[in-house]
Amino acid sequence: MPWRAIRVSLLIPVLMGSSAPLSAHHSFGAEYDVSKPITLTGVVTKVEWTNPHTHFYLDVADAAGKVTNWKFEGYNLAVLYRIGWKKDTTFKPGDRITVSGWQARDGGAWGHSRQITLPDGKKMFFGPPAGTGDGGAAPAVEVP
Amino acid sequence: MRALVIAAVIAVAASGIVSAQGPGSVPRTAEGKPDLTGVWQGGSTQRGTWEEANRGVGVGGSGVDPSAPTVLSSNDRPEGREAAPYQPWAAKRVVEAYNRRGIDDPTGLCLPAGIPRIVMLGLFPQQFVQTRDQIVMLYEYMNVFRVIPFNAKRPDDIIPSYMGNSVAQWEGDTLVIDVIGFNDKTWLAGTGTFHTDALHITERYTRVDRDQINYEVTIEDPNVLTRPWTLRSTLMLREGTRLQEMVCAENNIDPDRYEKLLNEGVKFTRD
Repeated sequence: MPWRAIRVSLLIPVLMGSSAPLSAHHSFGAEYDVSKPITLTGVVTKVEWTNPHTHFYLDVADAAGKVTNWKFEGYNLAVLYRIGWKKDTTFKPGDRITVSGWQARDGGAWGHSRQITLPDGKKMFFGPPAGTGDGGAAPAVEVP
Repeated sequence: MRALVIAAVIAVAASGIVSAQGPGSVPRTAEGKPDLTGVWQGGSTQRGTWEEANRGVGVGGSGVDPSAPTVLSSNDRPEGREAAPYQPWAAKRVVEAYNRRGIDDPTGLCLPAGIPRIVMLGLFPQQFVQTRDQIVMLYEYMNVFRVIPFNAKRPDDIIPSYMGNSVAQWEGDTLVIDVIGFNDKTWLAGTGTFHTDALHITERYTRVDRDQINYEVTIEDPNVLTRPWTLRSTLMLREGTRLQEMVCAENNIDPDRYEKLLNEGVKFTRD
């Protein structure tokens, strides 16, 4: 058995408990690290207007000019629609924007977007606040 | 004194609270029953259109008015809500799910949110279409629905389901919906609030004025709870809002993301 497969088989029972189904898309705290806030400026290369989450890709250059293509997650389509986002109008590939959010726990060029500053300076939310969906401030029961 | 009263009346009228958004009377059907037809937002107490009522910085808010009230995520336990009365062994399992930050949330697999969670969440609207013989409840979240007959006998061939089998009747001006026939694959109200297929839910919808339905739900499941669990919330009318398509399975990449975290041993749990 390859080492990777062994690690998975050991980890899953510990982390998942007994009969819980694997994975979810609504937990901020599992995927993203609130202690890793990021603000990046770059050029939009692609937008995925999809459910259950939207994504956009951003070319970000570092001080030495090296460009990295970041991926950011955002709200569900209907939620974006109701707060005023319009496909191919509000922002589109080629636009230079600034995004603030939080980086993924496993590092890399992947983040959860919260606020976007558009080319005209207007600021709009693209994703929910930190902590959304990961259980709130207290569990539903008293801790036994 | 009179000048003060006049000034107060002018101030209230100028604020638009009374003139534009005051509680109106409850619409009624030809049979005289309250008509719940409309598009509603759960988890909110704000009157007005969707845009007017969601200007805060919480989940789904536009952020236009940072001082505006926030709407909770469907996974959060609102401040002041009493603890769910789970049996000790079951409470332990709820806490485990909380400590895992909800990664085993059934909706993460694009499954329906179930009841009462889908009624009480604020991020997505729900629409009621009431006729003489039935009420149809449409939910934008996961695009699920309930078709509920009035005063009907329950079928004897109920199949397990996410949204249950509902029958409705009027108790005065309150619509009471009795729901059984659930599977055991949804969360009730908050991260990890699991149940069994013995779940029995009683919902009470009371439209108290034009803009507001008071929602009370009693949850019974003797397999996991020590006593019936009652929650109260409100549904607010959102005129002009249209339910949208939500095909969750389109691009649900998060299961793969979680698998990657697990494979790489990245710590994300609370404990």
